[in-house]
Amino acid sequence: MNRSSLSTLAFIAIVALATPSFAASKGPAAGKTVHVGVIADVTGGAGVYGTPQKNAYELANDDLKSGKLDAGGANLSFDVQDAASDGAQVVNILQKFMTDGSTAMVLGPTLSGEAFKAYPIAARASYPVMGTSTTAEGVTAIGPSVFRDSLAESQVIPTTVKRTHDKWHYKTAAVIYGDDNAFTKTDGDIFTRELKSAGVDVVDTETFHQKDTDFQPALTRIESKHPDVIAIGALFPEATKIIQQAGKLGIKAHMIGGNGLNAPDMYSVAGPAAQGTVVGAAWYSGAKYPSNLEFVKAYAAKYGKGPDQFAAQSYAAAQIVAYLVAHGSTTKEEMLTGLRNVRVIQTVLGPIGFDSNRDAKSSPVILSIVKDGFSYFH
Amino acid sequence: MVAQQLLNGLFLGAVYALFAVGYTLVFGVLDILNLAHAAIFTAAAFAAFSLAAAGVPLPLAFLIAAVVGGVLGILLDRVAFAPLRRRNAGTLVPLISSIGVAIIIGAVLRGIYGVDELHFVTGGRDAGTTIHLGPVTFTTVELTIFVAAVVLMLALSWVLRSTTLGRSIRAVAQDRIAATLLGVDLERTIAATFFIASSLGGAAGVLTGLEYNSVTLDMGSPIELKGLAIIILGGMGSVTGAVIGGFIIGAVETLAVAFGLSEWRDAITFGVMFIILVARPSGLFGKRALRQA
Amino acid sequence: MHALADFYARHSQLIDQVGINALLALSLSVSLQAGQLALAQAAFMGIAAYVTAILTLTYHWPLIATILVAVLVATLAGAALAYPVRRLRGVFLAIATIGFGEIVRVVANNVSITGGAEGMSGLPQDANTLTIYAALAVVALALFGLSRTKFALAVALVREDEHAARGVGVDVGTVRMLSLALGGAIAGLAGALYAHSSAFITPNDFGFERMEQILVWCVIGGVTSPLGAVLGATFLSVLPELIRFLADYREITNGIILLLVIVFAPGGLASLWRRGPIRVRV
Repeated sequence: MNRSSLSTLAFIAIVALATPSFAASKGPAAGKTVHVGVIADVTGGAGVYGTPQKNAYELANDDLKSGKLDAGGANLSFDVQDAASDGAQVVNILQKFMTDGSTAMVLGPTLSGEAFKAYPIAARASYPVMGTSTTAEGVTAIGPSVFRDSLAESQVIPTTVKRTHDKWHYKTAAVIYGDDNAFTKTDGDIFTRELKSAGVDVVDTETFHQKDTDFQPALTRIESKHPDVIAIGALFPEATKIIQQAGKLGIKAHMIGGNGLNAPDMYSVAGPAAQGTVVGAAWYSGAKYPSNLEFVKAYAAKYGKGPDQFAAQSYAAAQIVAYLVAHGSTTKEEMLTGLRNVRVIQTVLGPIGFDSNRDAKSSPVILSIVKDGFSYFH
Repeated sequence: MVAQQLLNGLFLGAVYALFAVGYTLVFGVLDILNLAHAAIFTAAAFAAFSLAAAGVPLPLAFLIAAVVGGVLGILLDRVAFAPLRRRNAGTLVPLISSIGVAIIIGAVLRGIYGVDELHFVTGGRDAGTTIHLGPVTFTTVELTIFVAAVVLMLALSWVLRSTTLGRSIRAVAQDRIAATLLGVDLERTIAATFFIASSLGGAAGVLTGLEYNSVTLDMGSPIELKGLAIIILGGMGSVTGAVIGGFIIGAVETLAVAFGLSEWRDAITFGVMFIILVARPSGLFGKRALRQA
Repeated sequence: MHALADFYARHSQLIDQVGINALLALSLSVSLQAGQLALAQAAFMGIAAYVTAILTLTYHWPLIATILVAVLVATLAGAALAYPVRRLRGVFLAIATIGFGEIVRVVANNVSITGGAEGMSGLPQDANTLTIYAALAVVALALFGLSRTKFALAVALVREDEHAARGVGVDVGTVRMLSLALGGAIAGLAGALYAHSSAFITPNDFGFERMEQILVWCVIGGVTSPLGAVLGATFLSVLPELIRFLADYREITNGIILLLVIVFAPGGLASLWRRGPIRVRV
């Protein structure tokens, strides 16, 4: 055999060996047990966001057992603990995980405010933590062991504004956002900033509180200024009502929104008024990434309804952890090193990596609400 | 736009008033601040949802759910307040036991229904049709809710003023011991009071769920605090006060948004309440006004 | 010894929380002893926490100085609040003070100096367990000392029968103001320590939910004594961790425990030590 065919043979062998197989391959951590902790608000005010997260991790545990999720032969499991939407419990659970001697990493918590309370403790001890829904500014800046797989609003909204402005060329806009929630307030601030720098005149700004149900006074005010576009900084419960009530009042403006609107039943709840609303998001349920469609199907089969973005970002975190474990990370130091060195991992969110700030490096997807869910915005 | 805003305030106020009336009734009669009222408000909304989902026509579902609220009220009293009445425990202790019951109701609802928001009507359709009347727009659902709230409050007023039960309730509110001496069956009157108050609160819950097409575990928390402001504003124990207070607060909130002060809305509501309290320490219609209903 | 150090390493955050919660419960207990259902402690805590946070983050003041100023501000707030609510009694006072709390929360949410809804992060977390429990000990001793003075007698008299108190020459208005101020001071101390042991504060930390929590601690522990307040705060702060193994049933268990304790021991946990009628009725 001559040298070139030998190297070809070698090349083919290497490619064959490197291709992931369905049955759990044997990585450097094969046979070892790895515990990863999860802090989620399954009950309490944020229960509607923490429950899909818990669901995703339980699905991940199932997939690890069946081999669908590959941890390289290691015995990896996620331990989800409920913080009941209480910042004090988040801190206590984190301390328990950090000191139990066997938990290699912690995922969560659900809310950015909780992360601000708890992460400094992890950062001081160089303990690796990763947020899957904590998208406020400054979370990863807390410390060099803090990572995030969820795109921040500041990474998504500029694209949303640019793409819609390029298409619709609107001149005026109104912004409506929740003023008592860090996430929705950030949305409001960033939308306002981006709209202004795109040369759009923000003719009205309205605010609301969490759990508000009546937006008609605010929408009436907005309509009196006749904006071309309304930017919505809200989470799902308020967003659906804003859109529906806007329709009821006969408002014809285009509507654009942030991550909070990325939930499967937007159209079925808000109705025809939601048609054409543009949502800048970190995940699309119809994206044809390798594990995504399978994940959506499996989640719906197990829980009776499709996953939302909270679930997707949690499952992606599980995939990231499984990848690290499959490549040999079993202790907290190894997890940290793994997170720092990883380039790109294939997840349900698409290919994802971490930038120099330890934020998610991934592309936002701009979607349009349609009758059966979402489609790409063109 | 002003007319529309005023109408918005009117509709909002009607539901607030209905909720507050139940609060104030229990306080007037028993000196208890029932913090499980919001939980019963929510439970009735979930009950109406289940009934409607099972095919029961909405008006009937509404009535049954309100009755469910009333029954929950009686149970609440049996479990949380009656044992303490015998021990003469003051007003603070029952407040805490009502919190305990509220937590339990919330946990049970979560166990049955999960954490997701539920909807009476899907597809964003309205359960009614939209009506345009000059400068204002509203739906038949909103109109029905307003009328239902007003009818219920008038009915309560009639019961308190003209029936034997109503007289018993007012007697107990005025002086529990004297009422007993005069032959009023205390426990039955109290049970009736809780039934009425909680079915009104439950009715408010169903109407709110229908109005915004939304039934969630925490739908009661915004109204819980506002309800307190309303009954204080109107005067504890005064049904008329609660009604007027409800409309005032509905108007204040709507106007706050209309004038671009939405972020300060809650502060304005409580600020108004505060100012009125400083001027009239027992609220607009004074304490113990249950005598006059 | 090793086991103790180990326990501390695993639970130091919870231990610190218990200390601060005990202070909060004590601050409410002071008001309740005067027969005043003044539910503004969460607001005083919040005012002190924000003053502390602003002095620490923006002006880089040292720990003790920030605590002293914050406590002073909270005390003044308590004294000032006494004036508009001087004619209010019972549940009216309760709701008026809850309203005050809401106003404070909304202000904190909307002004830029407090960071608004986004809160203030990056706090130094430099109040250690010793500091917190030293403060608790000082307050407990001070309250004990106070209980032996004529002031305490005046307070008890105002609670039991206001008219009689006035009749024997007690200045009811001043007694009420002082008890509100004292409550403000203790809650302020708790708030300042909270800002120095928490990495992040937000307006929702000091709203009605927190106030309800403090109220539950006090009543479950027993309003008859400061010991009751501390007991209630301790028991209910560690309860979530004690029953964590119940997972999905934690929430309902919480409600059931509250109900059972209050129905079978209306005088609170502290009353289980002493039998007899409830001595403080509010």
